[in-house]
Amino acid sequence: MAVQWPLLIFSVLLGASSGILVFLGIGEIKGVFKKVRFPLAVCALALLAVGGCASALHLGHIDRAFYILGNVNSAFSHELFAVGFAAVVALVYAVLSRKDYPGALKVLGILGLIAGIVLPLVAGFTYLMPARPAWDSFTLPLMYLGTGLGLGFVLSAALTCQMGDEDDASFALRLALAGVVCSIVTTLAYVAWIAMAPHQAPSRSIGLLLSGGLALEFWVGVVLLGIVAPAALGVLALRKAGSSPTGGAPAVATAGAEGGSGAGAAVAAGTKTAAGYLWASLACLVVGNVVLRMIMYAVATSVESLIY
Amino acid sequence: MTRYTMAIDLDSCIGCHSCAVVCKQENNVGLGTFYSKVLTIGPSGTYPDLEMYYLPVACQHCDNPECVNVCPTGASYKREDGIVLVDHAKCVGCQLCVMACPYGVRTYDEAKDKGVIEKCTLCAHLVDDGKVPACVRHCPGQARLFGDADDPDSDVSKMIAKKQTHKLTDVGNKPSVTFGLDKCEWKGGE
Repeated sequence: MAVQWPLLIFSVLLGASSGILVFLGIGEIKGVFKKVRFPLAVCALALLAVGGCASALHLGHIDRAFYILGNVNSAFSHELFAVGFAAVVALVYAVLSRKDYPGALKVLGILGLIAGIVLPLVAGFTYLMPARPAWDSFTLPLMYLGTGLGLGFVLSAALTCQMGDEDDASFALRLALAGVVCSIVTTLAYVAWIAMAPHQAPSRSIGLLLSGGLALEFWVGVVLLGIVAPAALGVLALRKAGSSPTGGAPAVATAGAEGGSGAGAAVAAGTKTAAGYLWASLACLVVGNVVLRMIMYAVATSVESLIY
Repeated sequence: MTRYTMAIDLDSCIGCHSCAVVCKQENNVGLGTFYSKVLTIGPSGTYPDLEMYYLPVACQHCDNPECVNVCPTGASYKREDGIVLVDHAKCVGCQLCVMACPYGVRTYDEAKDKGVIEKCTLCAHLVDDGKVPACVRHCPGQARLFGDADDPDSDVSKMIAKKQTHKLTDVGNKPSVTFGLDKCEWKGGE
């Protein structure tokens, strides 16, 4: 199948938005990320809005959008409900985060966390079609969720570090790395599904990815830029900020507690450098996500495409 | 209960493509778009034992049409008599049905009625008038048969009773169109 760019862009932006909502939800539960919650909530909302506009470009008759709820049992309608719910939660959260409403923000944060997990799953379930064996697996919505967590967590952590929030940087960096791990695991699970899917055919075989017509996209786009580079940059960011990926005592917090101006400046510089690594990691993840979805469309051949 | 469908006797199909042509005329199908096509299957085997047959394909008017299940607006629907149709007035052109159809027999029309989905209607307008689909009426080999699958006296049921029958690959959608083929080996999925 040809790449459906509006849907591809929508799914990447939706994933990033969902990841941010989960990040904020975790932050509310842990009582952290107070400095970045407003810009991140606005970012989540903006990504969802831009993604929604992109997906609308896929419709032949946007003027008939009123009919979209004509079949509430369709996965598309469920997706629309989930997007609406996430957008409302993000909007209210963004508004309330300007003031201090700890109770309400905690509830909204948890709702956002739920929306952030459910939304990519629901969006992914839209593509579960027996006619397209390469799509017809729970690993596809799982991949949407995992890659979304990767994008959203890395973006959120980068912003946290960029805004110089040293207190929360260590936790944000560890979350970013966890997001990258989710992204890697679910990406590999989806690639494994392509290898195992029923009704195998040359047009959707794993051989296409490993050594066929999609090998360049797979090895460079998915493996190098979508897996290896984000993981390496995430680890580098964590080390630069003075923390270890194995969860040792975060040096950022320790140094901050010492209060020395020299140490504080070093911590701030380390955090800013870590932000740089995370932005680079995010760029790699975006490319990796786009290429992975291009492959997802390329291998989505029908069991029997007879006329078209 | 009436369950309109089609049975195609592939042993009688001469591959003349009349069905595809008359379908375009009857339904004013746009340039580059087809509701129905005739595929050549083969030749297969080893010389001199070669065989080949023609396979007319269109919407299979499935018993459990996935295109209807995924349609967010209800534009794709199945009538009580089994015919699967698209209500163009409700179609938003999201193309999910095109993705969900296992047979690639739906198309996104950018020519005639821009931005909607087109497919075989089983000439519902003729059926409602007590007639048979245009492709059935004009088939010179009388390979195409139309009728009620639940009526044992219908042409469809009679052909199914007397020939080796096959259906296109079923991934849970339960295609209703039956292909009869005795003289060659069926090369399809089911």
